[in-house]
Parts: sequence; structure tokens; C-alpha cells
Amino acid sequence: MRRIAATLLPLLLTGSLACKKAEPPPPPPVTEPPTTAPAPVSVSAVTLGNAIGADKKVAAALESFGVKDTIYASVETAGTGHAKLRALWSFVKGEKTAKVDETTIEYDSTGPATNEFHISKPSGWPKGDYKVEIFLGEGGGVAATKTFKVS
Amino acid sequence: MANDQDKKSDDDMPDFSDVQSGASSTAPAAEVYETYVVKPGDSLSKIAKHAYGDANAWKRIFDANTDILKDPNKIFPGQKLKVPQKN
Repeated sequence: MRRIAATLLPLLLTGSLACKKAEPPPPPPVTEPPTTAPAPVSVSAVTLGNAIGADKKVAAALESFGVKDTIYASVETAGTGHAKLRALWSFVKGEKTAKVDETTIEYDSTGPATNEFHISKPSGWPKGDYKVEIFLGEGGGVAATKTFKVS
Repeated sequence: MANDQDKKSDDDMPDFSDVQSGASSTAPAAEVYETYVVKPGDSLSKIAKHAYGDANAWKRIFDANTDILKDPNKIFPGQKLKVPQKN
């Protein structure tokens, strides 16, 4: 009887080890998704022209306009958050500038947007040099400047 | 519409008081306005007449400036008012 037990015991032990269910692999470590702060609104492009399409973009970029033209500035923005865009149009004569017009657009940006500002003067534009400055944000600095001529 | 005093700031500069302007955006619910600096003798009706050609449209300007205006009859020189774009 002892001989039988001595023979079977190692076999039983080996068998129980072999049948033991393997431990499941540990779960992969939880990694947080990369937290990138949303980009704030920025001006990506300013284009001048005398006509725009339904997409608010100018049909053909111009730097010189006729005295009866309506002058458009198409301003493309990117980023998210509250956007405040101010267009300041000025006449430039030597060192002096005269304000022509100032218009502001405010909106909550969720992505790329195209904005247009336009000015016209029924009596005709005085010939000379002009510029439009685009300001971004509350009391923000100039984000872009475009110069143009009326001839 | 821009302030007359701005547009005639220099005697040897052209007059831009008849300039018409506007703006629009592809962004939904964009608010478009001009900034008007109140001059002595101004009233909301007078500003509305100049901006929209209709003195009775003064409430549009008042409604756009309730953050700084509590009484439509009390505006002060130097105040900067939002004048919503003429539709």
C-alpha cells in the first residue's frame, strides 16, 4: 500500500499543477488620452478684393481698387473660443492717417471661420493709399495689416 | 457708420463721412456692430437716425448696450456704444 501511495502521490501533485488554470494577464495600464488645450482663435489669412462669394472669400485678390469699388477684406480664422475681430480701415497720407471706418464682429468660434468686412463710398474713394488693420480680442493687438491703393 | 469727428479729424484729409460699411461671418450667431463714441448733444434717437435713418430704432442701440446703459435718456460724451449693423 505504501508503495502505491509513494508512486501515485508525485503523479497526483504533478497533475494538479498541470491542470491549474493559468492566471489571466494583468490589465494594461490605463493611459490618459493626451490633453491638448484647444487652440485659441487666430487670424490665418486676410485677402482683399472687390467681390466675395457665398463662402465670404474674395473671388480674386486685389491690391488696387477703383474709386467706385466696394472693398472687401476676407478674414479667415482658426481655433476655438470667443472671437472678437475688429477691422480698422484708414486712409494714409504720408505720416498721417485718417480713420475711414471701424467694424467689429464677435462670435463663439468652434473651428475655422471666414469673415468679411466691406466698405463703400457712394461719392467715390479719394485716390491714394489705404490700409486695413485687423485686431483680435478684447483690446488685442493688430493680428494682420493689409495695404492697398485706390487709383 | 463711423463717428464724424473721426472721419474729419484732419483738415487736409478727405471726408469719409458718407462711407458705408458692413460685415458678416460664416460663424453662426455672429454679432456685427460698429463702435460709436458719444458726442455732446447726442441722444440714442439721434444716433439711430444717423445709423439707420430711423430715430425710432433707438431701442436697438439701447438693447445692445444694456451692460453700460441703464436709462436710455442718459448717455454721456465719451461713452463707447455698440451700434448693431443695419439689416
